[in-house]
Amino acid sequence: MDMLPEDYSLPKQTHDIFAIMARGNFISSNGTRDGMNRLYDIINNPENFDRLQAYFNVIRYNIERGNNYFYFSKLSEPNSELEKKLERFERYIDIIDLLASMDNKITIGSRFRPTEIAEECNANVRLKQKLQKIPLYRSETLHNKVREICDLMSRDSYLELEDEKTESYKVLDSYTYLLDVINSIAIYEDTTGGSDDAQGLIYN
Amino acid sequence: MALQVNINDILSQLYQNRSAIEFLFANRENVTVNELLSRGDLSSEQYQKLKSLDLIYEYENIVSLNDAVVAMFEDFMEIGEVTPGFINDYLNELNRHIKFYQEVRELRFLRSIKKYLKRINSTITREIIKLQKNVDDTYKNESNYRIKLQKLEDYRVKRDTIIDFIKRTGEVVEEARTLFNLTNDTELYGIIQSLKGSLIENLDFLIEIQTDITDFINKIQFQLDVYKKAQKLKEIKDHGALHFKTNFNEIVNSVNTIRYNGHKSPRTKIAVDFLYTDDGHVLCKRVAEKYKLTRLMVRGLADKMQGNFKDKGLEQQIKLDTQKLVDRFLAQTKTNLFEYLMEYKFPKSIGTVTFEERLSLFVEIAMEYQTIMDFKYRLQYYDYEDNEKKKKRLGYTLILPMKEKDKKKKEVKQEG
Repeated sequence: MDMLPEDYSLPKQTHDIFAIMARGNFISSNGTRDGMNRLYDIINNPENFDRLQAYFNVIRYNIERGNNYFYFSKLSEPNSELEKKLERFERYIDIIDLLASMDNKITIGSRFRPTEIAEECNANVRLKQKLQKIPLYRSETLHNKVREICDLMSRDSYLELEDEKTESYKVLDSYTYLLDVINSIAIYEDTTGGSDDAQGLIYN
Repeated sequence: MALQVNINDILSQLYQNRSAIEFLFANRENVTVNELLSRGDLSSEQYQKLKSLDLIYEYENIVSLNDAVVAMFEDFMEIGEVTPGFINDYLNELNRHIKFYQEVRELRFLRSIKKYLKRINSTITREIIKLQKNVDDTYKNESNYRIKLQKLEDYRVKRDTIIDFIKRTGEVVEEARTLFNLTNDTELYGIIQSLKGSLIENLDFLIEIQTDITDFINKIQFQLDVYKKAQKLKEIKDHGALHFKTNFNEIVNSVNTIRYNGHKSPRTKIAVDFLYTDDGHVLCKRVAEKYKLTRLMVRGLADKMQGNFKDKGLEQQIKLDTQKLVDRFLAQTKTNLFEYLMEYKFPKSIGTVTFEERLSLFVEIAMEYQTIMDFKYRLQYYDYEDNEKKKKRLGYTLILPMKEKDKKKKEVKQEG
């Protein structure tokens, strides 16, 4: 552990990388703000990756690699705040369910504006209800609600506000992380025979 | 070009008007005659000359470079639009010329064969690079998922087309091998060797691209599948069974990103020394504004140093050289210190010295040089007008230069 930073011959962007990831944000390959795609390329370079990993491991951060994105986890620290985490992901189930019900489903690389989603919700009772029922948002209008969702997802670095003037968002590679978490939830067999299509099936 | 022209003519014309040609090449689509001439680097005479050589065309007031010129530049810089169709054309041409060459072993056909072999090589490589870029771009940046899927499927087809071309090229070269051997042409041999090498390499790239496309399509499919699952989970959640009928808690608990684990981003205290720097001040000011703290806003940034700050420093030195002033005062016997200072003619370089400044100088000297001056402890009065033209009277201590014998006396006293 008595190595000096220069012994690792770290890339000069090490600080920028740390500044983003230590805040709990993802670095996605298709992000453009603050040269994010460049930072991605730098971490993705195998030589750099090993050096950065060794360096950050000293301070107990671990770089985790996903499909075209990177993030930090903490080494040997028990995961905490389960209550808050559950709440957050419950909210994300609401949000993803809404996005899944849209006509034009967003995927990695999609660009959209909150107004587009708000308009579609406004034209469809089912979507409107879904949107209105998403808790914790105080905004009254549909448009503002969608805005808050986009805001939340940008803060969690799944989206990027690409153009402030037109309020255009882009879906980043890190979105896969969210979908991966949802996908890994297993649904148990319904023995009591509840809803029809859940019978005897494990969705995974 | 049906005109009688020679290369020298063309080259010198292109060179002479190179900035206009460059402009036309960069703005291939829509340059009007007026636009071009108003740039000022092309006279209408030169313009006519270029036109007469067919180097540029004019159609309905729109100017364009001769396609042959554009194509030459594009080929050279390898920037032109390429499509798999090009490769097909080149292959046909190649076949045609091989046939000609079989008929008559003439050098001109061999030259064409070489040309097309080289073109096929570079076009296939460029086509593959383009394909790779497009596939990646489409996955990462295409907004609509239906179009995205369709585009990726199209690229898959395109990839198959290119593979087909590679195979056909390989076959043509193989068939003509004996013919090529007969030519005994080392250049041709080299071209074929490099073509064969890059065909193999390109096949590898294409396999990789294929994996990418499949991978991307699967990922999109995966995303759509997850959407279905999310809807399912939402339904279970609405029934209040999310925590019981799924392993939601378990999965969420295992989420390891620091964002969701209540991890606070590392914060360090700011070094006190830093706060005293200009950058630190800017920071303080921002904090002060945010919390409306006037205390932190007092200290201002130092202004930019003026260009003549060195001269000013010099002035300051002259001003502060009180020692000489005192020496001069001590050398005379006519006036007391106060009067002496009030009437003293300071050098011009200092500028005007105000009454207040002379007064503070008096106090300064009186305090600093008290041991070598004769304090009379008697008040004298001085009348003056203040800023508001009011008559004022000031009382001051009479201070005289010390006489020689007094000086000695004082020294003795101090020693004693």
